[in-house]
Amino acid sequence: MADPASGAPHAPAATGRGFGRLLVAVYGLFALAATSRSVVQLATRFDEAPLAYLLSAFAAIVYIVATVSLARGSVTSRRLATVAISIELAGVLIVGAASVLFPDAFPRATVWTGFGSGYLLVPLVLPFVGLWWLRHTR
Amino acid sequence: MTGTYATAITVVALFLAAWTLISAAANRPRGVALLASGLVLEVLLLGFAIGGLVQMAGSDRDLARAEFVMYLVGALAIPPAAFVWAWGERSRAGTAVIALAFLITPVMILRVQQVWAGSVG
Repeated sequence: MADPASGAPHAPAATGRGFGRLLVAVYGLFALAATSRSVVQLATRFDEAPLAYLLSAFAAIVYIVATVSLARGSVTSRRLATVAISIELAGVLIVGAASVLFPDAFPRATVWTGFGSGYLLVPLVLPFVGLWWLRHTR
Repeated sequence: MTGTYATAITVVALFLAAWTLISAAANRPRGVALLASGLVLEVLLLGFAIGGLVQMAGSDRDLARAEFVMYLVGALAIPPAAFVWAWGERSRAGTAVIALAFLITPVMILRVQQVWAGSVG
């Protein structure tokens, strides 16, 4: 039995197990939502709001990377998950603030508009939970 | 989209979500009953999707067809995906994943109806 307090090297707990199973499911849901939304938006009416729609696509990619890397839980994918979730946190804060300050720039909603208010603010809470989970399973 | 069938699915899904959440909170082990209930919901959703596609094909009014099909397919895909992902997890977190899928189903049904009514841009 490895004693964590001894500082001995030990394999990190997988991020996709236990509570991580639920977290990955929530990330997967947002990956699905953001991807479908951006595919429809980009395919059918890109001209209406290019900035918002490109942001939707960017958010979709971030959620996909976070979902897959959290689910895998290897050493490399933990790093990837940390990067993706940090970008997600920056994204929801910046896009959220920008959409409140400059509503004219966002004629169409993205998943991060109004800090994710269209999704019960889950997009705002999710990156904090994700980063906590990565730290917790270290 | 006719209301009665959609309402029935919503009620069933909410009931299953509540039951599954209670199971997760009480840390009860998962059993065949959960799998069976997921199957019942999936059959209902399949009927909803087929009905929706038939209605869409028979309608010539302006409709966001791509979104409509996407939400129908999404509603159909979420419960099986949740079961596959959750089944390897023996802890209550696995049960919670399935509860989440049941909770999302009424939202997907609502979105299908909104797209059908034309209120989603």
